[in-house]
Amino acid sequence: MKFRGKIIDVACLNHFTRVVTTISKLTKICVLRLTPDNLFFVLSGKVANGGVSMWCELSQANFFDEYQMEGVSSEDNEICLEVTPENLSRALKTVQNAKAVKLKLTKKHCPCLTIAAELPTLSSISRVVTHDVPVDVIPRRLWHEFKEPSMPDFDVSIYLPPLKTMKNVVDRMKNLSNFLVMEANLNGEMNLKIETDLVSVTTHFKDLGNPPWGDDASQDGGPSQSRDPEDMAQARVDIRKLQQFLMGQQVNPSKAMCNIVHERVVHLILLHEDVSLQYFIPAVA
Amino acid sequence: MNCLLEGNCVKAFGKAIHALSRIGDELWLDPMVKGLALRAVNSAHSAYACFLFSPLFFQQYSLGSVSEQGSGTVKCKLAMKSVLPLFRCLTSIERNVERCQITVGTPSDRVMIQFFCRHGIIKTHNLRFQESEALQAVFASHLCPNVLKAPARLLGDMVMHFPVCQEEITLSVTPERVSLRNYYEEGNDRKKTMCTEMSLHPDEFNYFQVGVESDITFCLKELRGLLSFAESHCLPVSVHFAAAGKPVCFSVEDMVLEASVVLATLMDSESRIPSQHTQPPAPTTPRRADAAVVPLGSCEADSRVPQGVVTMMELIPSSQGSPILNPPTQMLLESHFDDPNGPRSHDEACVSVASTPASSTICSLLFRAVSSEQDGVCVAQLPVLACYSDEEEDMEEDYPGSPSL
Repeated sequence: MKFRGKIIDVACLNHFTRVVTTISKLTKICVLRLTPDNLFFVLSGKVANGGVSMWCELSQANFFDEYQMEGVSSEDNEICLEVTPENLSRALKTVQNAKAVKLKLTKKHCPCLTIAAELPTLSSISRVVTHDVPVDVIPRRLWHEFKEPSMPDFDVSIYLPPLKTMKNVVDRMKNLSNFLVMEANLNGEMNLKIETDLVSVTTHFKDLGNPPWGDDASQDGGPSQSRDPEDMAQARVDIRKLQQFLMGQQVNPSKAMCNIVHERVVHLILLHEDVSLQYFIPAVA
Repeated sequence: MNCLLEGNCVKAFGKAIHALSRIGDELWLDPMVKGLALRAVNSAHSAYACFLFSPLFFQQYSLGSVSEQGSGTVKCKLAMKSVLPLFRCLTSIERNVERCQITVGTPSDRVMIQFFCRHGIIKTHNLRFQESEALQAVFASHLCPNVLKAPARLLGDMVMHFPVCQEEITLSVTPERVSLRNYYEEGNDRKKTMCTEMSLHPDEFNYFQVGVESDITFCLKELRGLLSFAESHCLPVSVHFAAAGKPVCFSVEDMVLEASVVLATLMDSESRIPSQHTQPPAPTTPRRADAAVVPLGSCEADSRVPQGVVTMMELIPSSQGSPILNPPTQMLLESHFDDPNGPRSHDEACVSVASTPASSTICSLLFRAVSSEQDGVCVAQLPVLACYSDEEEDMEEDYPGSPSL
């Protein structure tokens, strides 16, 4: 098992740091899956983390100037590590002005992801910083838990309004309730609602647009055929999970979408050039 | 005592108070002929900081007449939590405060801090104080075999890599390399903590002198205040230290102010003591008071007892038996070491309960009280029992706030 990568470009380093920081805001611990072409940050929906799951996919070629890896075996050419993204993020943040940053899997007092940076100085000799982030190597028998989640058979898919606007709304709603109802229809309308004994608040968004998915993507052979465009699909979610997602955003996504499976799950997707982030929040009764 | 500060000086003064607040809960205001000293000591007595503002720093500085007050000026101990809020927001001080007047009045028994702000607003704060002798760390920086001097920026860049919650860091020096890494106690869940290490070439320092290769571990939190003070004033910071277990001093100097932080360092684990045996200053320096009881040179490399412990166990009885000691005014705190058979029980009595678990393994610093403004004269007559430096004269010339460079 070997892994070694090198980032030289400042923009790449900065982008990578922002992705990792975003992940660190979403979860304390996640799995970093390394394959010859991609890096994945994965959180599988366990009860312990509130049933939330996450899937973030990066193409290594867009970040790394050098990237070498050797998986567990030639047929399973992958490495799965449990990491604390906050440690990674903190380490990366302190080396933003580095001339070069190396990431490698090392065996120190425990398995570590070592971030070694060469920092510029006034003199000709550069300064070296190493951060050893402890990781747990995940044995192959557990890998099946960290496969890409299949796209749920959603009822409605909709583009999200600007995340900042949504965050402002959700932040205020959080003061009133612990749960939020997200509902949307195929007419480009989305509502964020809270309902308590004392107060009901709804924020309406319209003309958001519905992403064109292939017919195989959704229930009953395509939403446009069988579904009334005015008909709302809704899911009641833990408002903190949604807030966490909106709060942590460091990457400015070019596309932000939301798929709702009626009363089952909210599936949020952010696309930004080479990075995709999917986040699943289960609905509660 | 009466002094007046203007404009930017108020901000610098406030910044100094911020730095001192990192150390302890109490602030000593010590007006002297050579300037106004602000001091703080932490509860475990493992960290000490002193800022000395020379009379030139002030627009106006007067001690008041000595005859009037008998034995010179009043030394006041203030609660940090009552002083800090006055200087909490330095940007608003910078914007609004034109002048600041500090008066230690004998008739009122108060420290009065007055801010003369824009639009003719005057804010007056009267703080009650306790008259108390300020502790001073005994530290002879000129005897340290290792001296580093670097712009504050460099040190700031070094500690930046460590998280704010990082308690202690280890500084290692060899003639070729300076390195800094985070320190974790054994048994702590080491597996889950991130280890950071950075190394620098000696060329990056303005001055680099390594007489003894050493690894010292000290508290980073208590140092950050001084570093940020130095960084905001672009002052170079000098670091004086010897081997592990001996204090380390960080100091800055300017035309009008001197500041230093003295931190205790962690004793080395016993296994490493023999390699630390080459500490030149202690065995070679002549000792006046303690020469008979401190057989420093007799400790061989094969001895099972660490050298430092021998020293301290010999010293403690002598300090306790000293007839000159008068606990309320003169505190001589012995170092305590991680030795179960050693002076443990004694230490627990003198170290405050508030000490953190980490600091309990750190040796206390050695303190003496300043009993008058001409402190040198007085202290010279006191045998400094647990002394780290050599002769008393050196210490008297060597005011701890101003390590000779």
